[in-house]
Amino acid sequence: MMYAKLALRNVKRSAKDYAIYFATLSLTATLLCAFLSLGFSSDIIGMTENMSMLTSGILALSVLVALIASFVIRYAVRFMLGQRKREFATYEILGMELRSIQRLFLIENILIGAGAFLIGIVLGSGLSGLLAIFVKSIFHTPHNYSVYFSLKAVLVTMLLFALMYGSGLIQAAKIIRRKKIIELLYDEKKNEKVKDKSIIRLVVSGVCTILEITAGVLLLVNGLKIQTNVAMLFLGGGAGLLLLAVYSIYRNLPFLLIGSVHRKKNYLLHGERLFLMGQLKQRFNSVGKTLAVIATLLTVSLLTMFAGLTMGAGYEANMEAYYPYDFGVAVDAPLTKESFDDVISFVDTQSTVEDSLTYYLYSAGTYGVEALSISDYNHLRYILGLEPKTLRQDRFLIHCDTWIYMEPIKSALSESATIELAGYKLQSSSEEIFTEPMEQYQMAGTKGYVIVVPDEVASQLPAEKIRLVCKLKDGGTPALKNDARTNLNSGKWKPTVQPGMEIPEHATLGITVKAWGIANSLTGYTTISFCGLYLSIVFIILSCTILAFEQLSRMETNRKHFQVIYRLGVDRQQQKRLIVQELSGFFVLPLIVPSIFLLFATIGFHKFFGEAILQANLIPLNAGITLLIFLVVYSVYFCATYFIYSRTVTAESHNSH
Amino acid sequence: MSILQTIDLKKYYGTEPNITRALDGVNFSVEQGEFVGIMGASGSGKTTLLNCISTIDTATSGHINLNGKDILEIKEKEIARFRRENLGFIFQDFNLLDTLTIYENIALALTINKQSANQIDGKVQDIAGQLAIRDVLAKYPYQVSGGQKQRCACARAIINQPQLILADEPTGALDSNSSRNLLETMQDMNRRMGATILMVTHDAVSASYASRILFLKDGQIYKELLKGKHDNRHFFNQILDIMAELGGVQDDVR
Ligand SMILES: Nc1ncnc2c1ncn2[C@@H]1O[C@H](COP(=O)(O)OP(=O)(O)O)[C@@H](O)[C@H]1O
Ligand SMILES: [Mg+2]
Repeated sequence: MMYAKLALRNVKRSAKDYAIYFATLSLTATLLCAFLSLGFSSDIIGMTENMSMLTSGILALSVLVALIASFVIRYAVRFMLGQRKREFATYEILGMELRSIQRLFLIENILIGAGAFLIGIVLGSGLSGLLAIFVKSIFHTPHNYSVYFSLKAVLVTMLLFALMYGSGLIQAAKIIRRKKIIELLYDEKKNEKVKDKSIIRLVVSGVCTILEITAGVLLLVNGLKIQTNVAMLFLGGGAGLLLLAVYSIYRNLPFLLIGSVHRKKNYLLHGERLFLMGQLKQRFNSVGKTLAVIATLLTVSLLTMFAGLTMGAGYEANMEAYYPYDFGVAVDAPLTKESFDDVISFVDTQSTVEDSLTYYLYSAGTYGVEALSISDYNHLRYILGLEPKTLRQDRFLIHCDTWIYMEPIKSALSESATIELAGYKLQSSSEEIFTEPMEQYQMAGTKGYVIVVPDEVASQLPAEKIRLVCKLKDGGTPALKNDARTNLNSGKWKPTVQPGMEIPEHATLGITVKAWGIANSLTGYTTISFCGLYLSIVFIILSCTILAFEQLSRMETNRKHFQVIYRLGVDRQQQKRLIVQELSGFFVLPLIVPSIFLLFATIGFHKFFGEAILQANLIPLNAGITLLIFLVVYSVYFCATYFIYSRTVTAESHNSH
Repeated sequence: MSILQTIDLKKYYGTEPNITRALDGVNFSVEQGEFVGIMGASGSGKTTLLNCISTIDTATSGHINLNGKDILEIKEKEIARFRRENLGFIFQDFNLLDTLTIYENIALALTINKQSANQIDGKVQDIAGQLAIRDVLAKYPYQVSGGQKQRCACARAIINQPQLILADEPTGALDSNSSRNLLETMQDMNRRMGATILMVTHDAVSASYASRILFLKDGQIYKELLKGKHDNRHFFNQILDIMAELGGVQDDVR
């Protein structure tokens, strides 16, 4: 019991050291609990049939989060032990046993952990309510705020939290056991060595970095052009190389910066710059790999958030293009148009059919592309609410809603604008390419584009594929997709084949329903953006925690430094300014390269996907949002660190009254 | 001309009944170009006196005139500026920044005092030559000896040519050889460079380098000893006598 009291008093007294630690623990618990509650809420899962995707995504990420958080906690524990080694050594000298000291530290930390966990559960349940509102507003479902308390989520949070926190505490117990009193007492007196890196090493690693970036970018660019699964390999490799580059940059950048400043004697010998540079140099020296790791983490975090938001939003913006028809059936077999009369009447029993069109995708012989007749094409346009096109007897036009084919088509046309089909010579020009979204991988073509020919020509072509498109009065329901599938496969549907044609061995049947598509791509959107957001916010918090601890672990030494310059005549206000500059240097530097990467990612995404995403400026917008969220979290940590650091460092050591 | 003058200087810690009268009416003055030592038993108020003069601490009452200006009247905002323009410091634990080289440590005092960059190198080299630390200018404090560190501190203290250099037990962390070396350096700074020095010490050997010694007891000046034309040896014996009289410092004599 005495330990509990002593422990509680210690926690109170070193609240300042514990503040950031405690905040990070609570925040991590909050996020874990909030996202897990969301993922486990039956309210949310029940919204669409594949919403369980969100649950598995969140669950998997939570494990990852706990894993990474456990590293940060170990780090933090080491920091706090460092702060308090003197105190522990004193206990030991006074005759307290190592076991007791361990127990003391353990009790203190369990108190803190339990507190953080409780706060996390409360805040997390509250936050999940907000997240749920977001999800529901994405789905245009009516929503009210309510707390999403979920026992399952609390239990999983508790398990993960216990795992990550336990590993930190075990580490602490080990450190306490290994340390000798003498080390504990005299550790701080060791002089901080300030090294300068050799030029050769800098040059070599500079060259390596450039190679990494070049190779990474090449892999990424080529990966984006590949349509097969190999692309993943290219993209993964490229991303890995770029992250490695970030890491190498940060192993050297600080030294390069400081080195170049140091050569400019006239710049340095001005006011307090000399002091500031000394502070930063010492910081970068002692921080070593940690800074590089942080910068890498920040890059991952920024890009994850950006990619999550952009891809999610891209999904939503593109839904109309993916699912332009209320109801559609695609059969790759030469069936008769009459076969679909039954289908239309079935659909009509579910939702009133306002308009329908059964049409063929003709095969255009050696050209390897399908053809539509101009009247079918115009009827499709009418259903989609587009104005009709006219076509002369000796001409054809192209419809291509897939922008990546535009250039090849234009260059092919400029070479030869004439085709020959069933004995007719037809001409076209690049002015006769139309691009409105028509869904050209299944419904209005299967290759990403079609040619549109006069009816007379079309009637001479083999009609190997048939399509049905319906416009429904109420737009239809998501359930229509399954109902129609069941109906078509039940055996009641008896399609007939065109005379003289045969059903191929593998005739495929596809059904597209707009209402179903929208609901499910929203799920994809929600999953991708929420998972991206989740992961990256946790990454930022953890990176900031490490940065803060790195800065705060230098507090004692720096207090002496600031005392020296105080005596040399640098007043408190100027000292505060110096602290802001020092902290900014330390906090902003690891953000520079990740921000540049974000900039390039924005430009790259815009170039590659900009036209695919129909909503203009979506990508830059999301880059902006990403940066904003980032800066908010970042500045909270910056301010907290500044507050604690400046209060201690500029504390008046003398006795003024 | 007197450069420093304290009038009825008082510094109390705490409130009645637990009041500590660290300084209880201290009156003395220091002339331009003097090397004054302040001695006294541990707890007699030496550090407090130095801190009050150096504007790091504020006195409870009284006056401290430095170069005709009462430093207790200087506004908070101008204190730092006043300090960097008029005072130099040497402390027991060197107070060098381990993040900077010896050169940069010395230069820092100049840059903080807004000296233009092109004059700095000359000044640093000059003072380093005089204090025999030119060889170690490029090194960091952890790479040089205690004596060299302390001479670096001296260089930093004098480089702005302050009105007054304050030293609190400057030899406290040095062996006797380095101590002697440092004291000779300080004597040199006093004689050749015309620095006015006020040095606190509890060590008779160190004190014997000063030209005048003030003895503090219970927060007041107890006695004053002038070196006059005596040699160090004689002066040293006189100091020991007074210390015996004062009592309590005896243990500290080597
Ligand atoms: N901050 C303080 N609060 C209370 N008493 C103090 C404080 N600083 C010094 N004192 C007391 O003032 C007296 C003089 O201290 P000091 O000037 O440090 O002595 P010296 O340097 O001569 O050893 C001592 O009795 C000391 O205990
Ligand atoms: Mg003292």
